[in-house]
Amino acid sequence: MNTDRRRTNAPSAGTAALVFARTVKEPGYLQSLRPSRTREPDELRRIFLQTNLIPSATGSAYYEIPLPRSPTTSTLIPSTSTLKILASVQGPKPLPRSAPFSPTLLLTTTVKFAPFATRHRRGYIRDSVERDLGVHVESALRGVIIGERWPKSGVDVVLTILEADEDGWWGDGNAGKGDGSGWGLLNVLAGCITVASAAIADAGIDCVDLVAGGVAAMVKKGEGKEGEVVKVLDPSPTDHKDIVAACAVGYLAGRDEITEMWMKGNVGAASDELVEGAIYASLGNLGVMKEVLLETLKSKIRAAGQEDVDQTKGSPPGDVEMTG
Amino acid sequence: MAPITTAAVNLSPAELSFLRSSLSQTPPIRLDHTKGPRDFRSMRAEYDVITSANGSARIALEDGTEALVGVKAEVEQTRQSIFGQQNLHTEGADERMLLEQDDKVEEEGKGQNSWVEMSVEIPGFRDDDALPVFLASMLTESLLASGELKDRLYINRRFHWKLYIDILLLSPPLSYPLALLSMTTHLALLTTRLPALISEKDEDPQFNDDWDAAVPLYPKDTEKPTGAKVMDKPPVIILAMAVGPNVIFDPSKEELAVADSVLAIAYTGSKGSTTGARLVSIRTIDPPSHLTPPGVPNSMNSATGGTVPTSSADALTQREMLANSGVWTPPRGGMKRGLVSQVTKMVVEAGGVGEEVINALQAIEIG
Repeated sequence: MNTDRRRTNAPSAGTAALVFARTVKEPGYLQSLRPSRTREPDELRRIFLQTNLIPSATGSAYYEIPLPRSPTTSTLIPSTSTLKILASVQGPKPLPRSAPFSPTLLLTTTVKFAPFATRHRRGYIRDSVERDLGVHVESALRGVIIGERWPKSGVDVVLTILEADEDGWWGDGNAGKGDGSGWGLLNVLAGCITVASAAIADAGIDCVDLVAGGVAAMVKKGEGKEGEVVKVLDPSPTDHKDIVAACAVGYLAGRDEITEMWMKGNVGAASDELVEGAIYASLGNLGVMKEVLLETLKSKIRAAGQEDVDQTKGSPPGDVEMTG
Repeated sequence: MAPITTAAVNLSPAELSFLRSSLSQTPPIRLDHTKGPRDFRSMRAEYDVITSANGSARIALEDGTEALVGVKAEVEQTRQSIFGQQNLHTEGADERMLLEQDDKVEEEGKGQNSWVEMSVEIPGFRDDDALPVFLASMLTESLLASGELKDRLYINRRFHWKLYIDILLLSPPLSYPLALLSMTTHLALLTTRLPALISEKDEDPQFNDDWDAAVPLYPKDTEKPTGAKVMDKPPVIILAMAVGPNVIFDPSKEELAVADSVLAIAYTGSKGSTTGARLVSIRTIDPPSHLTPPGVPNSMNSATGGTVPTSSADALTQREMLANSGVWTPPRGGMKRGLVSQVTKMVVEAGGVGEEVINALQAIEIG
């Protein structure tokens, strides 16, 4: 054998990763660690939203579903997942001279997962899932923005997902799930719509209404084929073993209209029920968004008032605060 | 910042306004006035056009849009996950019992999403442009939704079929090609056949080399063995658009340019004899009407005796007051909630649009 004996070589064939002995020895043990939904079926997860945090952008917002304070567990398998999205809006700004004439505002939406956002590392080049999400968010926003007021201009909405919702529980392994195209994406989309809408409102771009995202799902309760299917709002994919179908919407509460809908799975005849559920979930997010925008506006007015007072006093022009 | 090129319809604001008002009449008058709101454009379809593929189909619409789909299957080794091995281990004890059971039971839930691979080629678009990516993900998602197709690809614990579905749009995308592509894929999958397996259980798979003995991927209702599970038909995606109170199916490119909202609905035939028609996926599509140029009313145009607004604020107010004057303004907002359920009902109901399309495509295959 002509092997290199001076170095410690890797094994010639592939090896399997180590598995904790107890999960292999006791077949039921792994399943006993499975988390279950502690919220009511119509109870949403708490969200955190803040606007106006990137000074160089026209508008920006940050959205987070924080990790609930969970009781101490004896396992390393995380039982919940979080969602963190940062949105920034650049523009409206004039199109480059080389671009053809556009009678309306050109909206470009870029959705990018951070490389560390999901279980599998994402590269720096956008893959098809991210492009698809970008199309969804764009269609949610395009119906809301009054584009004809900005001819010959463009606006960029950049969404960075710092941490994405899981597609399933870690203990289930990767069989057909870990590729990042599962149920977690719907939560990500709903979050993206909410945060992008908040950022656009923060940027002061004319809209017909605030659009908010929401998710509802049909999940199978109990084991076996004859499990009862129930509707839950804002599903956390780690909590449910069998998600049958799910739906994310972008909803305009003031006009009772849907600008974006993404429903997938074995919907059956439950489509109306799913849409209804997703709309209820989006109303929850809308409430938070309105509060936050109002708060930002108040603080902006207060700051402007302060500035006026400073100017009348003739304070030395030291730090000039640039507002855009 | 690339402007969307597909949607570019060269219609003036006056033409758009005319088209919209004729489409929102009751009954609507479509661009092709011989068609009702639920009529599809006529098409020519054929199947088994590619001899080297397991299944193939070609559909050409009357406006010149043409799509070709080839389905190829390859045997691939299944990667065993650590948890899969563990299952294998614990099942060892009741192996005998398991063998006695029907194969069908064993197949269930074994399939993986990655066993189906789909690619969409549209001339003039790069692979990573928004349109092909969106089309591919909608088609894949609706195909995999029920989970029956991927279970069908299971051979044994170590091997499975890998299904490659390659979709080619032969002409430039003259209208939104989603419905056409999905119908062609449906026809190709209906006629796809896999070589018959002659090896047993966990042996290395061996196949019957007689192509006539090959089994269809989607077993037909008429020749299914007794007791076998009835499988769904592959899904078909139906495009519907809303103009005012009217819902119009299979819109042409010009009609899309005045749509309030567009919905793509993926529908599979009802399961067996029960009339539980099923939806597998719904997506809204951003209508190109949002990008159309707004018209300038005579009252704001000095060339026609109007007065030019003095300030931009003044222009905005005048513009907002035009809402129902017939001067073209791009539609705003989305789809009313009631309209969404109305459209889905029109597709799903017995004798609805979905059933019609699936039956029509099935008729091509039989006759």
